[in-house]
Amino acid sequence: MSALSVENVTKRFDRTLAVDELTFAVPDGQVFGFLGGNGAGKTTTLRMALDIIRPTAGRLTVLGRAPGRENAPDIGFLPEERGLYRNMTALDTIVYFGRLKGMTSNDARTEGLVLLDRFGLGDNARSTIDKLSKGMAQKVQLATAVVNRPKLLILDEPFSGLDPVNQNLLEDEIRRASANGTTVIFSTHVMQHAERLCEKLLLLARGRKKFEGTLDEARAQLPARLSVMAKQPLNALPGVKSCEPVGPTRDGWQEWDVQLEPGVPAGDVLEACTERSIPLRRFDERRASLHDVFLQMVGPAEARA
Amino acid sequence: MKNILIVAAREFRQITAMRSFWMTLLILPLALSLGPIAQRFLSDDSSDRVIVIDRTGGAEARSIEQRFAADDDRRQLQKLSRFVQRHKLEKADPAAPWASHDRWYTAADIAQFRASGGVKAALARIDRVKSSETPDYEPAKPSYEMIATPPELSKLPDDRIGNAAQAYLKPADDKAKPVDYVLLIPRDFGASPVVQLWARSEARPSFVTAVQDVLTRDLRSRFLESQGVSPQAAQAASVIAPALSISSPPPGGGAREAMLVRSILPLAASYLLMMSLMLSGSWMLQGTVEERSNKLLETVLACVSPEELMYGKLLGTIGVGLSMILAWTACGAIAGYATHGVIADLIRPALAPLTAPGTIIAMIYFFLAGYIAISVLFLAIGGMSDSMREAQGYLMPVMLAILMPVTFLLQAIVAGRTGILVEVLTWVPLWTPFTVLARLGMGIPTWEVIGSGLLLAVFTAASLVLVARLFRASLLAQGQRPNLAEVIARVRRGGEAG
Repeated sequence: MSALSVENVTKRFDRTLAVDELTFAVPDGQVFGFLGGNGAGKTTTLRMALDIIRPTAGRLTVLGRAPGRENAPDIGFLPEERGLYRNMTALDTIVYFGRLKGMTSNDARTEGLVLLDRFGLGDNARSTIDKLSKGMAQKVQLATAVVNRPKLLILDEPFSGLDPVNQNLLEDEIRRASANGTTVIFSTHVMQHAERLCEKLLLLARGRKKFEGTLDEARAQLPARLSVMAKQPLNALPGVKSCEPVGPTRDGWQEWDVQLEPGVPAGDVLEACTERSIPLRRFDERRASLHDVFLQMVGPAEARA
Repeated sequence: MKNILIVAAREFRQITAMRSFWMTLLILPLALSLGPIAQRFLSDDSSDRVIVIDRTGGAEARSIEQRFAADDDRRQLQKLSRFVQRHKLEKADPAAPWASHDRWYTAADIAQFRASGGVKAALARIDRVKSSETPDYEPAKPSYEMIATPPELSKLPDDRIGNAAQAYLKPADDKAKPVDYVLLIPRDFGASPVVQLWARSEARPSFVTAVQDVLTRDLRSRFLESQGVSPQAAQAASVIAPALSISSPPPGGGAREAMLVRSILPLAASYLLMMSLMLSGSWMLQGTVEERSNKLLETVLACVSPEELMYGKLLGTIGVGLSMILAWTACGAIAGYATHGVIADLIRPALAPLTAPGTIIAMIYFFLAGYIAISVLFLAIGGMSDSMREAQGYLMPVMLAILMPVTFLLQAIVAGRTGILVEVLTWVPLWTPFTVLARLGMGIPTWEVIGSGLLLAVFTAASLVLVARLFRASLLAQGQRPNLAEVIARVRRGGEAG
């Protein structure tokens, strides 16, 4: 079953097309990355999944059901723009959101205390939010999202504005939730986080899907590059698109930057070298980064947006 | 419904945790309890001191003194009658004028009162029947005290009296008691109508009227005598006056004082509605703006629908408002108990409207419907504003639109006026709750109560629907403060499914 299924969804705000015929599915139990520049339609799609806004056309299902507040007990949500009631204590805040997600007051309080302890805020449970530092308040907000041990955790740009310590804490929480069987969807435009955490990715640009698949599949979208130390160029080998010398020759050995045709595995080229008895001193495959894939797919201008 | 209650409880807790809530809650009872004390310090209940220099032989001065005494006795009778009525002491002397209430006391009544021994004899009779818990009666003080004319003043010629009188009106010695009025009636009074009065400050109209009345009668008598009428006939003609038979209707039938007492509770309900609405509405608005400016709306909206959020806030605010009224009422009850029923005796007639079930239902209905209808406006403002500063821009005109007519309305009701303004306010839903509540004590036709009540119900239902749309469409909207066109567009958008 898909934790989230989006079928031909379009969302229009007056004259602005925010999401355009979008279709994708988030498999149950996976960590799913939602990538795209600003205005790509990430937040709009997540808001539709939460029924905060409704699609102009198309259909969404969340945990097998239509979007709605009745799903709240199974969902945790951390929005991009974060804030809390300044005059409420940390614990009361967690209990309040726990209760809105269908928990009893006692359960929410018990789980809230466990979370605050885990986040190093055990001594601040009774402090009001306005007495906490920004980093502490961010931890409290994270606790409000996971207090109900959700089946689906939706995080909208969760790393933005976090200090490195809290970024690590959040990564740990995402891994912990995933290990407990929670499906995690998070939107980001910081590719390193997606590379580290995501099992599957969706790339959006101007409300349209550019790519959906695993990290390896994403990297395979760009031709692989090799750094080879050989005495002769490899242009003649099958699957090689280009082979350019890098730096000076030393004792007849030259470093070559080899670009392969899309979809050609580096192993095929190595095999061809062996068959042709081409001597090699080095053969390194340089895999495309997600950042490269992102730039390639959405274009530099879109990526900067 | 559960989410609405959770939101309402949070809203209630947030507002009641505010320092301003507790300050406001305490200010009203404190002001009401300090009011009478302040009034005691501020009020001047001493008699005005009067010197009459009567060059005509003293008859005019005696007439004036008698007139003051008659007026004082009438006031004494009225005060005593209210005391007897409040403590149900009529059996002390059922035939006495002070045992019949809410009426004008005639010269005959005053004569009977004097003949039977005045206030001293009346109190002696009352003491025989009054219980030990009944407080003592405090006799009304005379309005004027006649001071014997100082010889050094009476010896002076008329044209020097004015300057000499200043020493009595504004004595140089701080310890000397000043005189309030110096009245000179010249020897040729009658031939000449001129009488001179020097006052310490602006002369009281009641003083001038009484003096003028007495001297006018005398002038007329002298004129008739000069026209050949016998002194006896002239004297008789000067005191001819219509024997006004004044009958006051029983309470509830139009007697102003009685009606005013009956209106206390409805007027108080109207005033409390206004007070608590303005306060709790402002706090709710502050909370809504905080949710927007603190960017926590999206988190909340992931768990509750905009409608649940709106109704929860509304319910929380109504809870706050009703708690305030409950607290104020409790303060009143405690004060009543603490003063051994004195206040309770005072307000018992004011509770008369509560004997009619229809009035009770109407009061509760208009109070609650009014609360919802007006609170919704505050909610709409909060939903559209990103900051309190922005909210103030909408709030001021709304507050003025509500408060100004209601202020005029309450004054009009207290003054017993029910003109076209009151009628208009009755039928405009924004002011209906205040107006109908205020009018309940004075009497309002049943068809008007039902008609305006239905109109208010329709208005409240429509505003709930429209504001829910506006609220939904405004919550996550950003940008400039919306103008009227944008507000209408949001109401339309909020009504769409998507």
